[in-house]
Amino acid sequence: MNCRSEVLEVTVEARQVEEAMLALLHTVLLHRSTGKFHYKKEGTYSIGTVGTRDIDCDFIDFTFVRVSSEELDRVIRKAVSEFKEALSNSGSDGMGQISLEFYQKKKSRWPFSDECIPWEVWSIKVNVVNLANEQERQICREKVGEKLGEKVINVVEVINRHEYLPKMPTQSEVDNVFDTSLKDVQPYLYKITYQITDTLGTSVGTTMRRLIKDTLAL
Amino acid sequence: MAHFDTEYQRLEASYSDSPPGEENLLMHVAEGSKSQWHHIENLDLFFQRVYNLHQKNGFTCMLLGEIFELVQLLFVVGFTVFLANCVDYDILFANKFVNHTNSFKVTLPDAFLPVDVCSAHIRDNTFVIFVLIISGVFWLHRFVKFIYNVCCYWEIRSFYIHALKMSMSELPYATWQEVQARIIEIQKEHQICIHKKELTELDIYHRILRFKNYMVAMVNKSLLPVRFRLPVLGECVFYTRGLKYNFELIFFWGPGSLFENEWSLKPEYKRGGNRLELADRLASRILWIGIANLLLCPVILVWQILYAFFSYTEVSAPHPRIRALKFYFCSSSLCLCTQVIKREPGSLGARCWSLYGRCYLRHFNELDHELMSRLSKGYKAASKYMNCFLSPLLMVVAKNVAFFAGSLLAVLIALTIYDEDVLAVEHVLSSITLLGVCITVCRSFIPDKLMVFCPEQLLRVILAHIHYMPDHWQGNAHRYETRDQFSQLFQYKAVFILEELLSPVVTPIILIFCLRRKSLEIIDFFRNFTVEVVGVGDTCSFAQMDIRQHGHPAWMSAGETEASIYQQAEDGKTELSLMHFAITNPQWQPPQETTHFIHQLKERVHREATAGPDARPLSLSESEPRSLVADMLAGPSTLAPVHFGCNSSLMNNAAAGINSAATGLRSLSPICSSLYLRGSLSAAHRAGGCSGRTMAGSGTDARTVSSGSSAWEGQLTSLVLSEYASTEMSIHALYMHELHKQQSRGEPSRHTWHRQESDESSDSIPDEVRSEPSARSLSFPRSHTFPTATSSPSAASASASATRGATVGQEWARSQSSSQRRHSGPAADQFGAGGRVARTSRMPMGGWAEDGTAASRHHEPLPEETSEDEAPPHIHKMT
Repeated sequence: MNCRSEVLEVTVEARQVEEAMLALLHTVLLHRSTGKFHYKKEGTYSIGTVGTRDIDCDFIDFTFVRVSSEELDRVIRKAVSEFKEALSNSGSDGMGQISLEFYQKKKSRWPFSDECIPWEVWSIKVNVVNLANEQERQICREKVGEKLGEKVINVVEVINRHEYLPKMPTQSEVDNVFDTSLKDVQPYLYKITYQITDTLGTSVGTTMRRLIKDTLAL
Repeated sequence: MAHFDTEYQRLEASYSDSPPGEENLLMHVAEGSKSQWHHIENLDLFFQRVYNLHQKNGFTCMLLGEIFELVQLLFVVGFTVFLANCVDYDILFANKFVNHTNSFKVTLPDAFLPVDVCSAHIRDNTFVIFVLIISGVFWLHRFVKFIYNVCCYWEIRSFYIHALKMSMSELPYATWQEVQARIIEIQKEHQICIHKKELTELDIYHRILRFKNYMVAMVNKSLLPVRFRLPVLGECVFYTRGLKYNFELIFFWGPGSLFENEWSLKPEYKRGGNRLELADRLASRILWIGIANLLLCPVILVWQILYAFFSYTEVSAPHPRIRALKFYFCSSSLCLCTQVIKREPGSLGARCWSLYGRCYLRHFNELDHELMSRLSKGYKAASKYMNCFLSPLLMVVAKNVAFFAGSLLAVLIALTIYDEDVLAVEHVLSSITLLGVCITVCRSFIPDKLMVFCPEQLLRVILAHIHYMPDHWQGNAHRYETRDQFSQLFQYKAVFILEELLSPVVTPIILIFCLRRKSLEIIDFFRNFTVEVVGVGDTCSFAQMDIRQHGHPAWMSAGETEASIYQQAEDGKTELSLMHFAITNPQWQPPQETTHFIHQLKERVHREATAGPDARPLSLSESEPRSLVADMLAGPSTLAPVHFGCNSSLMNNAAAGINSAATGLRSLSPICSSLYLRGSLSAAHRAGGCSGRTMAGSGTDARTVSSGSSAWEGQLTSLVLSEYASTEMSIHALYMHELHKQQSRGEPSRHTWHRQESDESSDSIPDEVRSEPSARSLSFPRSHTFPTATSSPSAASASASATRGATVGQEWARSQSSSQRRHSGPAADQFGAGGRVARTSRMPMGGWAEDGTAASRHHEPLPEETSEDEAPPHIHKMT
């Protein structure tokens, strides 16, 4: 609960799914990434630079900015294409949700594993429509472009609010807050998950876990 | 030239030291996570644990308590099995002789069976094995839970020590309000909750009491099937812990429950679209859970008996129920049994607040310890009220049984005294014991000769503590129906235990046949009364205590409420809860309209507290609630002569009814001082915001504080005023009930006790009218004495010397006059100063000490009853 959640909803054509998702995810990640930290002596550090890059979409009238890190792009692309795959395999209705969750790790004492505590979740709900002819596709192409533009502004507005962000860590704790595996950029720790259609209810696993926890906490 | 050289070289030197451009970079300082307490994942659980640790008086106490509980369970199971299987009773009863060679003495070890025989006994007995297995599982469950708890609470302990800066040793002496204030304080620096910069008291309460608020609301709206009309027993309430557990399982946390996790309702339940389908699903889940309950019935029974050992906290009563249960368990050993009865003669007839009562009487956003202390204060009056209604038939029988048993006992005892060999005759000792028990039981049915029947006053004292009461009780306190209904809230412990034992069988029936039919209503309830609050999650909207949304026009919120009948909380619950919360948490800043409401109400109570005695009470018109408070405050002096008369006859218990009414009302009399204090204090808080609240220890003397330091503000609130808070709440509750009664008189009232059959209410109106004159005539002497008492305390003390009631009146008058002095004096002096200064300095700096002494003087002469009544809240913490 102790986490902000933002929901974005888009309606797109099947072939636009990938680009739309990439655009939104990259926009969020652009604002949630910093340059690499170079720690100096006791508790001070300098921040490296972050390059940006404009990406033009093929199926949408839209250009977005992303961090110019190929590694990061590869990771996101992989997640999105999995999502797209799952969406197209799911059948007719084509509803899905992909969520980008920022979390921080907390070290726990021995009997428990490290906790991952989310502090911000972006859920993007996708509604896939089928269009009959080229005319409609053309309109859709522009419409989706406009919509995505609005969403990007939304995202920036949310990020501009002064709200909770994890405190800047010291060198030893940097792995608890930032994803340091990439060479050129350092986003906050994040996780991408997706769900298809009405499987939005809690899974069996989480229910069981909660059941056990609740019995213990009686 | 040389000048140029040097400069050039210096640059060169620095350039070679570090990579290019590095020294121009902005350097950042890492804040690190100085504390581990920012951003806690599950705040609900976290706050609950913080609260629990506080209630259990710190980590060590909790740990020891739990360890002993585990050991106790092992002992009880082991010892019972041993008694049942491993003792040769023939030897103990001397039916069989032991062939010892040298002595005739039988020793205890002689009676023990050898180990192999014993284990064979156990192995043959499937029932014993069944019980052993279940208790083994139960013990393991407790054990795992214990380990888990230790880990969790260790963290909470370090939170207390490092973040809240409270050591475990001072925890038992800190009130919850202090702990809460510190939590709110540290939120500013640690950001425990990430949604908001600042937490409020209400946020914390909401999180701790999220599901309890739902249960209270559901009971309030009569949604849960807990009342039944049975063919022989008539109207009855059945609400046991098993049933409660099942309700919670179904609604809140079980598999497939309505809640997704601790803090949010599943989204599909928030939409009205497919409510029918959801209701069907809920109904089938209830059916399955009911069937599972039915199948597991025997296991649950044993489990419940074991569980009863651990959860005697559930029952609020001065005597913990565990003793009664143990008595039940070890009834095989007569000696323990007699010991129990001898120690507490009334233990068989003892009562406790029923589980239903605790749900019905609970305010929204009321923590356990607050409810418990309130109910415990009402306990004495409530049991006196119930004892007013002894059945005359039983009394006659009991008297005669006691007579015969007594004469037999006397003869036996006399014989024994003459020659103790009588004891050696078979069954003489046991019959003496049995006769003794018999007499004790009978005695509890025989009322004291000097008992006075004054139910109306008693009920009023009870109301002052329990705060809720259906409308038709007022004026009907002497009726048997009222008594029966009250006994649903305040039941015999024996009945409680019986219900618990029946529960495994009855629960599935209720689930399958009653709850299932209500599934649609339940779905609607959760949809309509759930609001999402930022930073808290989904809560019950009643718990927001918003007068506009859930106020009841008959409870002072007329004109402000916009609620439909469906949305109105019954019995004035919204209004009373709001007052209760505002009074217990003076720092809380409610929303605009709510502040207005609270202010208005306080103002009215205030005005009447001051104006009451002065405005000639004789000219009271019935339609105007002018001096209700005066009526209530004046109670003690009215009763004083009666009280004195009873006292002089040296029968303390005899005056039961009047006595308690007087003490109950007397306990309200410090209210005038507290009213003033709190009124001015809250003004100061508004003015000064939360600044200047100190976190210093709680042991400072009120007088030293009042001597002029600016730090007194927060301390006074936590120290002294929390003790007055319950009194103030009592007076507000009484006032609101009185006002409600006057408002609803004449107009057909909505029946809130049993909404199903509203015909009962029709006969309540003439009764009220009938009893009215007597109440008026009772208040006459008061109206003569009181004005004099106010005008000159010495005259009052002269006229009613030596009576305790009058002393109280006098104290009251003294504090009254002092507070008036306070009120008029400084306020006028400081008029020219800036608004803020003026308001703070209106506080009774000098007057406080005087007031404190007045209050303490007032406490001293009272019997132990009252000291119990007035005990500070943290003593009432239930573990």
